[in-house]
Amino acid sequence: MATPALVVENLRKSFGALEVLKGVSLVADRGDVIALIGASGSGKSTFLRCINLLEMPDSGTIRVAGEAVRVERFGAARLPAADRRQIDRIRTHLGMVFQSFNLWSHMTVLENVIEAPVHVLKRPKSDAVALAMLLLEKVGIADKARHYPAHLSGGQQQRAAIARALAMEPDVLLFDEPTSALDPELVNEVFQVMRGLAAERRTMIVVTHEMGFAREIATEVVFLHRGVVEERGPPAEVFGDPKSARCRQFLSAMP
Amino acid sequence: MMDLHGYGWMLWEGAVMTLVVAVLAMTLGCVLGLVGAVAKLSVRSGLRRAADLYTTVVRGVPELVLILLVYYGVPTVAQDLAETWGEPVVFDLDPFIAGVLTLGFIYGAFATEVFRGAFLSVPRGQIEAASSLGMRPGLAFRKILFPQMLRYALPGLGNVWLVLLKATALVSVIQLEDLMRKAQIAAGATREPFTFYFSASLLFLGLTVVSLYAIRRGERWAERGLR
Repeated sequence: MATPALVVENLRKSFGALEVLKGVSLVADRGDVIALIGASGSGKSTFLRCINLLEMPDSGTIRVAGEAVRVERFGAARLPAADRRQIDRIRTHLGMVFQSFNLWSHMTVLENVIEAPVHVLKRPKSDAVALAMLLLEKVGIADKARHYPAHLSGGQQQRAAIARALAMEPDVLLFDEPTSALDPELVNEVFQVMRGLAAERRTMIVVTHEMGFAREIATEVVFLHRGVVEERGPPAEVFGDPKSARCRQFLSAMP
Repeated sequence: MMDLHGYGWMLWEGAVMTLVVAVLAMTLGCVLGLVGAVAKLSVRSGLRRAADLYTTVVRGVPELVLILLVYYGVPTVAQDLAETWGEPVVFDLDPFIAGVLTLGFIYGAFATEVFRGAFLSVPRGQIEAASSLGMRPGLAFRKILFPQMLRYALPGLGNVWLVLLKATALVSVIQLEDLMRKAQIAAGATREPFTFYFSASLLFLGLTVVSLYAIRRGERWAERGLR
């Protein structure tokens, strides 16, 4: 059997006295789409941010494409150089899409997409541009390549951000509430792009409040409650017949 | 038309000297300001305290006092020190170097605060995006944080420049042949203070007007993509 694209074991994270993640585990095989659902404060965004180490977990193991990150040493304020290099390397395998897009506002869309491939992966610029144009084509905004992010709609910005993440050719895509900052009429264009990525059998972890989309796209749904996985399983099971009372309660409160 | 009694060229030379002193001092001030701002935002408390001391002292002592202290004070102390080691020397500071160093040192403190505020104004998500794509901190600083920070810093830096430009008049007290000093000389020689101080005012004003134009161009460049 092939190595899973992403393995997270027993991840713990506290902010001061508040324990946000109390040992969360997750395995994503290639092509899996895992939807992380849960109420605000359940820890799902923190969990996602811990996976690519934007937040430093207190303990646990993260394995990306077979390479394990030594999380237990992250208690120290200053990381040894080798660890920092490892973190940077791991991050290039994990594409992150943020709720608020976080496109670099002083660069055009095209510059946003080629920046990391050229300067981190050291790709020749012409190759990076060719790939970027292909990706922008795919997400449907090739005509906006020379525009600055501020001139795009929210949906277009998020699609550009997806193209930027894809340009690193990551093993796993992490989506942190990708449509929460969008006007309702712009949500679907981003979902459309994500459907396409799922159809390409890309590995994706998606934090979302859109239950209909989670049900449609996910191969597995994980329900987090107060830093613990309360329920997990195929979408039909979790949405159709949740075993945990908390999950039932959460889903019934959804519109 | 005012009669400058042949002192026009001298005033012009003074204006050029003023501009040169101001540009060099501003360059030094920007370097010190960047270093100071990075120190103030550092995780190391020693660096933070050193930068706090710098900005507090410089902003708390009048420019004129600092200029006199550096120009007259530093050589005296240096000579006294040399004498105690039994090596009497005559040590003089060049007024040009003393002026540039002192003004740069002073306005570096103001630039520190400008840069510090500008760094803090860059949204966190911009850096997180860079980190998430595997950029090392140095690369993220050069490509993302620094250019974005400039956008917030330019209005403040423009202001520092305008104040610095006028403050160069203070270096005339250490006999630096700047616009102010030339005007004094001409006014004294011709006994027409109004003519020459007014001419100097016009030249200062001219420099400011040109500066304002350049600053506006610079801001528009830094704000590319925002409108």
